[in-house]
Amino acid sequence: MSKIFGVALGILAAIGGFVDIGDLVFNVSAGATFGYQLMWVLPIGVVGIIVYSEMCGRIAAVSKKAVFDAVRDRVGFSAGLGALIASEVVNLMTFAAELGGVAISLQLLCGLPYRWLIALAVVGLAVVIWVTSFEWIERIFGYGGLCLLVFAVAAVKLTPDWGKFGNGFIPHVAQNNSLLYAYFVVGLLGAAMTPYEVYFYSSGGVEEEWTPKDISLNRANAIIGYGLGGFLSVALMVTGATLFLGHGISPAHLGTIALGAQVPLGEIGLLLALIGILFAVGGASIDTVFSGAYNLAQFCGWEWGRYRTNVNAPRFTLTWIVLLALGMGIVMTGVDAVVLTEYAVIFSVVALPLTYIPILLVANDEAYMGRHRNGRLANVLGVVYLVVIMVVALSAIPLMILTNVGQN
Amino acid sequence: MTEIDIALKVLDHQILDREGRRCGNVDDLEIEGGPGETARVTAILVGPGVWAQRARRIGWIASFVGGGRRVRVPWEDVTEVESHVVLSKTAEELGLGRGDDRLRPWIEKIPGAHR
Repeated sequence: MSKIFGVALGILAAIGGFVDIGDLVFNVSAGATFGYQLMWVLPIGVVGIIVYSEMCGRIAAVSKKAVFDAVRDRVGFSAGLGALIASEVVNLMTFAAELGGVAISLQLLCGLPYRWLIALAVVGLAVVIWVTSFEWIERIFGYGGLCLLVFAVAAVKLTPDWGKFGNGFIPHVAQNNSLLYAYFVVGLLGAAMTPYEVYFYSSGGVEEEWTPKDISLNRANAIIGYGLGGFLSVALMVTGATLFLGHGISPAHLGTIALGAQVPLGEIGLLLALIGILFAVGGASIDTVFSGAYNLAQFCGWEWGRYRTNVNAPRFTLTWIVLLALGMGIVMTGVDAVVLTEYAVIFSVVALPLTYIPILLVANDEAYMGRHRNGRLANVLGVVYLVVIMVVALSAIPLMILTNVGQN
Repeated sequence: MTEIDIALKVLDHQILDREGRRCGNVDDLEIEGGPGETARVTAILVGPGVWAQRARRIGWIASFVGGGRRVRVPWEDVTEVESHVVLSKTAEELGLGRGDDRLRPWIEKIPGAHR
């Protein structure tokens, strides 16, 4: 019974932890710009992250290797170093965007000056990481993020056109403005399949000492956690579509996104939305700094781990402290968090193949995986998604330039 | 599998010392034996000092940033080659993981570092 309870708690935390600033920005903007037309992209993105998370969770369980161990093992030093540098840059950008999101939601909640709140947020995150066990960090931010469910209530209360909503899940090309439409397809996929999620997930598996016995638990975790998390993405897009479409409003500010809950539900809706956003981006801030530290430590062979005490993994600890400081420096320049988010998501799309190709190779390697190597389903999905990712990665930057980062 | 096959398999793998501590990756191998002779692995090489020879310019930069230290671990000290490379001595005895050891006193000064 307590085991079921534990799994349920884990799932709740995963739902709350799924959404980050990339999902908030792209889902609501996509709804505001194209209504329900882009709904079909959400299940594709969610299945993609499930497929690759399941693979690297299985790799962690069988070979005890986290993503960047496997990357270096499989593609060698120089290609691995290239992948590391690209991932670290994208991770840092993503972290800075999440941190900006934390400061903005704090500002909307308490009204203090933005730059003070950035510093306060960094100190707060550092203290939380330093003194709290990781189990509790996951719970605190995961449950807090569950406040985002207010968007599901808001979405229903805004009485969407269910017929159009349903039709949105049938893949189709845009009736007009097809470049912008394509840009949003890329952004939505990128937001759902953010690379830090797989780094974080697989490193967690190694730390929790998963064994081949945990493979089915890993599969259930990935499917249920990400699947239900995707439900929140749907709610966010519906809110954007019902509230903003046709009014010429594009949510260029996180506060506008929170309005999506205020309009149908009033003050309490706004409050829950802001708290949900705060915890979701706060949790993602921690995930991203840790991912950056994991990758570097794994590439260099240092001690690493969030379940280890800080003194037992000194260089890992120093790395996340430095990343916190660098992220703070970026946000302090006054760069707009929503703009930074768009750049972070688009660049992470470009870096995706560099991590996903080695994962697919290792998951197929009998020397590492023995009888747990990819079955037919995992391989078919893995290859299909790899093709999707390649196409998306190649078109991401041109689309970003052609649409002026989604502005036209 | 010959010794060389095994050795090439360990390239870029995580190294664990006798106590299971992560103390570097196999950054390069030292192989002896000229043309016509049987090649023999004599040591694994660890540390940023060998990165320059692994990847041209970018490797040189990474090596410079990393401090350029290199440690030679005799092949005799390797006890196990599975998904990780396990050594028969501790990291300290072999001079591995020095960066973590040097940084530890500083991290320890921060209250709550042992949590």
